[in-house]
Amino acid sequence: MTSFQSTLGEDAGIAEELAESQQSISIAEFFEKNKHMLGFDSGARGLVTAVKEAVDNALDAAEESGILPDIYVEIQEAGDYYRLIVEDNGPGLTKESLPKVFGKLLYGSRFHAREQSRGQQGIGISAAVLYAQLTSGKPAKITSRTQGSEEAEYFELIVDTDNNEPEISVEETTTWDRPHGTRIELEMEANMRARQQLHDYIKHTAVVNPHARLELREPQEHFKFERATDQLPEETEEIRPHPHGVELGTVMKMLAATDSQTVSGFVQEEFTRVGKKTAESIIDEFRDRHYGREMRWRPPASHEAVDLHAAVEDATANKGADATAAFADAVAEAVADADRIAHHELVAAVESAAEAVEDDHGTTFGDTVRENAVEAVWLELIDAVEADDSDESEGDVDSRLVADLYDLADDATSTRKDDAVIDAFADRLAAKFEDELEGGDEDDGNVRHRLTHKRLRDHVDRAADLTEEYDDVSFGETARENVTDAIWDVMATVPDDPPLVRELDGDRDATSNLVDAMRGTDIMAPPTRCLAPISEDLITAGLEKEFDADFYASATRDAGVSGGDPFIVEAGIAYGGDLPAEGTGEVMRFANRVPLVYQRGACATTDVVKSIGWRNYGLDQPGGSGLPNGPVVIMVHVASTNVPFTSESKDAVANVPEIEDEIELAIREAARELKSYLNKRRSMQQRRKKQNVLGKILPEMAEKVAEVTGREEPDIDDAIARIMNNVLVERHTEANGDGTAVSVVVENNSSTNESLEVTDIVSAEPRNLSDGATVVEMDGEWFVKWEPEVSSDDEAALEYEIPDDATFDLDVKGVESEKLTVKQ
Amino acid sequence: MSTDDTQEAREQLIDLAAQFYDQFELGEIPHMSVPTRTKNNIEYDEEMDVWVYGDRESTRSANSVRGARKLLKAIYTIEFLSEQLEEDRSSTLRELYYLSESWDNNEAQFNDQDESNSMVEDLEIVSGVTREDFHMRPEESGATIMGPLFLREQTRRGEREIHCQEDVGEGGYQIPNNPDTIEFLDNDADFILAVETGGMRDRLVENGFDEEYNALIVHLKGQPARATRRITKRLHDELGLPVTVFTDGDPWSYRIYGSVAYGSIKSAHLSEYLATPEADFIGIQPADIVEYDLPSDPLSDSDVNALESELEDPRFQTDYWEEQIELQLDLGKKSEQQSLAARGLDFVTDTYLPDRLDDMGVL
Repeated sequence: MTSFQSTLGEDAGIAEELAESQQSISIAEFFEKNKHMLGFDSGARGLVTAVKEAVDNALDAAEESGILPDIYVEIQEAGDYYRLIVEDNGPGLTKESLPKVFGKLLYGSRFHAREQSRGQQGIGISAAVLYAQLTSGKPAKITSRTQGSEEAEYFELIVDTDNNEPEISVEETTTWDRPHGTRIELEMEANMRARQQLHDYIKHTAVVNPHARLELREPQEHFKFERATDQLPEETEEIRPHPHGVELGTVMKMLAATDSQTVSGFVQEEFTRVGKKTAESIIDEFRDRHYGREMRWRPPASHEAVDLHAAVEDATANKGADATAAFADAVAEAVADADRIAHHELVAAVESAAEAVEDDHGTTFGDTVRENAVEAVWLELIDAVEADDSDESEGDVDSRLVADLYDLADDATSTRKDDAVIDAFADRLAAKFEDELEGGDEDDGNVRHRLTHKRLRDHVDRAADLTEEYDDVSFGETARENVTDAIWDVMATVPDDPPLVRELDGDRDATSNLVDAMRGTDIMAPPTRCLAPISEDLITAGLEKEFDADFYASATRDAGVSGGDPFIVEAGIAYGGDLPAEGTGEVMRFANRVPLVYQRGACATTDVVKSIGWRNYGLDQPGGSGLPNGPVVIMVHVASTNVPFTSESKDAVANVPEIEDEIELAIREAARELKSYLNKRRSMQQRRKKQNVLGKILPEMAEKVAEVTGREEPDIDDAIARIMNNVLVERHTEANGDGTAVSVVVENNSSTNESLEVTDIVSAEPRNLSDGATVVEMDGEWFVKWEPEVSSDDEAALEYEIPDDATFDLDVKGVESEKLTVKQ
Repeated sequence: MSTDDTQEAREQLIDLAAQFYDQFELGEIPHMSVPTRTKNNIEYDEEMDVWVYGDRESTRSANSVRGARKLLKAIYTIEFLSEQLEEDRSSTLRELYYLSESWDNNEAQFNDQDESNSMVEDLEIVSGVTREDFHMRPEESGATIMGPLFLREQTRRGEREIHCQEDVGEGGYQIPNNPDTIEFLDNDADFILAVETGGMRDRLVENGFDEEYNALIVHLKGQPARATRRITKRLHDELGLPVTVFTDGDPWSYRIYGSVAYGSIKSAHLSEYLATPEADFIGIQPADIVEYDLPSDPLSDSDVNALESELEDPRFQTDYWEEQIELQLDLGKKSEQQSLAARGLDFVTDTYLPDRLDDMGVL
């Protein structure tokens, strides 16, 4: 050790030497070395990330300008490299901003906006450019045309990593067939090993962006995803920050920048959901934290030997007997009327007493008189009157504070605590209050008993510690907390004016108190117009578009708040059809309409899906936990002004309890629909099975019955329809003069009302149609349409007449085929 | 059995089939209602002094797959029975079960013999024709009579006149499946002693109890077959002989007595024809276990359950039985008939039975 020390001493220049090699690092350089943080950790993944960043930007740009997105992605093999081309029909970029958007990291319009958008930091696309130039050494080639301009701008650029600025090598105008939009071409070292993720990303993007048209052409395959709707997502509005979601540094910056003079104005102006009332609540919370509260003591009870009247009279000199007595009366009365009274409340009481007496008696009660009266009464209240020498047993009599604190502590602690212990504790706590007279900044100490929550807690802790030490009892955390809270509750918020904004600016501690105060105040959840959920209908439309399933369900939850940022969770489920029946179901995760394709296992969404008992919803789930098996796709979309991701590469939603709860509720909501669908399907299956078995047994029985009785085989259709609780549609015809009377009877044997659409196609013109039926002729055929509603165990009939020799064809809709028996 | 009876039975069956036919034709769901055959649905018929089915019915309806299968089996059974009657053949219940295997329809085949037995019972009840008139018989139960009785039996091989003491071996006279083919010619009997177990019956015969006391010893062989109960009923009704029942002292044996005296739950529709309400119970009574200090076994859980369920059985709701059953539950013991041998082989014939029969006023 010593030798090392001496070496240090001898070579005094080492610090300087070290300092020479220290220099600032540009953000671009940092990410150059930490590509994985942005999702460019391998060639396979880099390609997917680059596509993702380019497509996200394209979608954001088009939507912002109210254009239905039309995006073309192409991946070409280019020798040892891959060439990625992404074209969109967005508004295009101006000549000035284009190089910065693509050639400068952390340049963007979104970072400061509280609004739902795909991109946020302004890193993504420039990181892709950086990755391309690092791996292939080639610049990004960008073409952009703004609406209405004659020509397009063409740039070739790279990111200058030393100073994080774009370095433009080619800048020219060119022609382009798109009227507006942007095209980026990147060449990079990559491979197509992550083809599946790439396809997933594009396909999933199509699911949650049913308003977008997407096309992907890669060396082996070519996909087109057409639009399912022309409805753009609702435009979002930027919102001011919510008081619950801001941090100290942010508030300090805001204080420096605001135009408001007062704290009240500041919180109302700069934050969302803060009006006059909420501002007052925040300021009260701020006062409590900044100034502390004042202890309110009980006024003396009649049996106590405290004469406030006398104290006031003694303190008031030269004011005439009547006025003095009246003044003393008024003060003593005001104090006695209060349940408890704090110093500032006493000051107010004395003020009003003095003014009242001044009016009645014409005597002036100046500030000194008032202050004297306050002091005299207050000292009586806190039992701090200077002891007379003659007072014989001062040391043994407990201060009146002890009794007061005893009652508070006794109520707040469990009944198991011994009276003597509480008494000893109250005694020690009262002593701490008495000690306040000595401390504090003011001349006569903290005579007003003004304490912050923390200082109060320190006193309670100290008193409790001493009690534990001397009385050998335990005075636990909960008891201390309860006592502190009980006392804090009776204490009064002080009326002091909060500091002005300019006073707060730069005062870190005071600002910290303000931030705490904002968090401690109940404030309405932030508005959700900054969010654009996909909506239940469009989720279903998106799923229908991309998955050929039998059943779709979706749910959009109401907005929730997490850390001051509003969020909305949506879920969708597709089941059956062409979805693969083998293996586990698919989970699609989305954040702000961006598919998350990597780090499935680290995502809160996956955790929630796994934690749900899918067996309750009719799905197969081996072991009762984990992903469900079978032909199912579960999608979850989390939309927020600030989606909490686990990392910069934005692959997984962090496990935030509020968000997890909403994810679960959304999934369960959709899953309930799935369950009732599956139940219904199962009951239809059973019905079909029953029908199959009975369809075999009953004819056999009828045959046997006929055999035994020696009669013709009976007609069993009616019986079967009844047995199956089916809807029986039956045609009867009867000769009627020169024509035929036809009746189509619907007999509803089921337990529910049924609405049917009956179409009878007749080869001759029907006459005398019964009510409610219509007829249309088409190519020599008459379509008799009839839509009866038949209640359970009831019948309805369609009647008409036709000339002889007609053929019929009955078509019935509106009832599941399992429940329907049609007899022509 | 006259051909008229056979013809009538056949018509009844075909009527039943016709009933299904009509239900089909009317668009009704084919169905068949039979009284529920549980102890909750038997009630006392004061006129006949026996227990018969109450009003509760279960419906076999084609509404469900199960019900439809049952009805399909019913119609196949009806066909079989009516053919059997037409050809004047007969078969056993077990044969019916095996025969169903030959039916062309798998759905109509019986899964086990209980199912075919209960189907025959259903048809008996619904058609009002007894299974004997369907020419269905159970397996020979092998129950016997030993005692001073002279009778004539109409067998398929001609008439036989038999004296149940003199013309038979030690095994006694075997009761035929249809005791209505028997004509009683003469007797010297004073009473009927129905015995549950073979061992006790043999003991009584060996000790010459039938001769000494002019007793007709009927061997019940456990739960008595219909034929055994029918002949007991006829001996009582036609010859005016008092009936006594001698069984083990456990809940299962009380049920044997119950079916002799009050009819069984499964054949309550025939109680009138099978039950002998005047039959008296000799023992082993729970009180005997105490009085004679008989060797005993503790009651098992199923014994206790059976006793408790007997307390709820309307057939056992008499003062005598309630007292005996509660006593047994208190004792927690049961004894077999043969436990009387603990007091010597002759104790049962010399002491126990004479004492009990004397108490009961039979002797």
